[in-house]
Amino acid sequence: MAKSLLYITLTISLLPFLAISFSPESPTDRRVLVLLDDFAVKSSHSLFFDSLKSRGFELEFKLVEDPNIGLQRYGQYLYDALVLFCPSVERFGGSINVASIADFVDSGHDLIIAADTNASDLIREISTESGVDFDENAAAMVIDHTGYAVSNTEGDHTLIASDDLIKSDVILGSKNIEAPVLFQGIGHSVNPANSLALQVLAASPSAYSANPLSKLSSPPSLTGSAISLVSVIQARNNARIVVAGSLSMFSNRFFRSGVQKAGSSTKYEKSGNEEFFTELSKWVFHERGHLKAVNVRHHKVGESDEPAMYRINDDSDYSVEIYEWSGTSWEPFVANDVQLQFYMMSPYVLKTLSTDKKGLYSTSFKVPDVYGVFQFKVEYQRLGYTSLSLSKQIPVRPFRHNEYERFLPAAYPYYGASFSMMVGFFIFTVVHLYSK
Amino acid sequence: MARSTSRDAEALFHSLRSAYVATPSSLKIIDLYVGFAVFTAVIQVVYMAVVGSFPFNSFLSGVLSCVGTAVLAVCLRIQVNKENKEFKDLPPERAFADFVLCNLVLHLVIMNFLG
Repeated sequence: MAKSLLYITLTISLLPFLAISFSPESPTDRRVLVLLDDFAVKSSHSLFFDSLKSRGFELEFKLVEDPNIGLQRYGQYLYDALVLFCPSVERFGGSINVASIADFVDSGHDLIIAADTNASDLIREISTESGVDFDENAAAMVIDHTGYAVSNTEGDHTLIASDDLIKSDVILGSKNIEAPVLFQGIGHSVNPANSLALQVLAASPSAYSANPLSKLSSPPSLTGSAISLVSVIQARNNARIVVAGSLSMFSNRFFRSGVQKAGSSTKYEKSGNEEFFTELSKWVFHERGHLKAVNVRHHKVGESDEPAMYRINDDSDYSVEIYEWSGTSWEPFVANDVQLQFYMMSPYVLKTLSTDKKGLYSTSFKVPDVYGVFQFKVEYQRLGYTSLSLSKQIPVRPFRHNEYERFLPAAYPYYGASFSMMVGFFIFTVVHLYSK
Repeated sequence: MARSTSRDAEALFHSLRSAYVATPSSLKIIDLYVGFAVFTAVIQVVYMAVVGSFPFNSFLSGVLSCVGTAVLAVCLRIQVNKENKEFKDLPPERAFADFVLCNLVLHLVIMNFLG
């Protein structure tokens, strides 16, 4: 009795911990480690941190040289996400290094990297691991003589107002971000062959990356729209990474400042930065665009149990439920492009699933006239959404010897011919033997 | 080279017919039997061309039973023909027994394949 009471108390006391940790059932990150160069960033960037806190994240601020920081203890990760607001870090304190951050991401955790001009080799290395390359010139900044933000002093046009945002509702929210986003920092490039990395905020075609203080003697290595100001990466394990070339983009000063793009008469009271990073942080911390598929079912038409095997030319019903995480609950996912493959080396059947708008996707199809080991496959990879990859193996057998149709009316002449040959044989035998 | 006329063809048919009249009646019976088998096969092929090849196994077994029967009957005819010197040592009873055995095997296979 006392023992069971102990168990119950233990379970109940553990419940909150179980509930807040990252799990497939509630994919939103909860515990976030923020590594800073300087505690001043905590107050100078407080608007960004406050918006995270107000959405329920537990932020833990640590200085990079803190000897006690570590991402995991006893093989368990202590955090669901890592924010690196330390562009000039030369080495981390504690047990964190490039390899441990790569492992952190490889195990499905999320990462925000903010670099800046003079970003350290360590930050560059982490970014390269993630799939983006910062300008190799350490003093380089993105300069744009036509798309700069108008300010009181003429300046060197490194403060850029960019409105070249990725057109994706799932990454940046359904609400259009009107005001340009302010940027001041280093540019990076995304390898076009890398299908996992995307430019979210690109520089204008007139931008280039160079040191603003020195004379431009050789052509800049990065120019035009190839310069990415903010990029996202979604790894194959659905871990998400944001790489920004500017730490000041996140600052209260940029969040609150007005913006007027050069050559445009519209002056916005407030830059698009706050909205941009609020929406982007919702995406990177899995408050949006996270799909799950449950209740994968298939059966023969007219039956309800899942068969262990299909026969060729059977009619099959397939259904799957797909939900999207809204940050607080699983909402039905509505799309018209989810496709099912009936697959053996190549898809024999490819059908678009129809949805009832409540999350249930279903279709029915005829099993092909080919036997072998097939798979029901749903491969759903869409920009910004976590990838869904479902497969279920199922053998398809040919007809058994007694399952073929018999006594077909169309075949009666052939039957008749065969039997008449037998009768003819009998009569011929008699005639042949007894003639003469 | 002499020009062929309809009279030559007529003469050819006439000589063939007069030669065939001299054939023993037992061989004529075999010829009749072969003709019956070939005729049945042709009917089936025409039927298949009209209706389509759907029960293809049935079609094959129907036609092959006719063709097989015809082939076996022709073999029997070769063996029992007195004028055929090649088989003069083979007794006609032996030839007939072979014919019966082969027919039994043929029809067993046909029955299995008929569907």
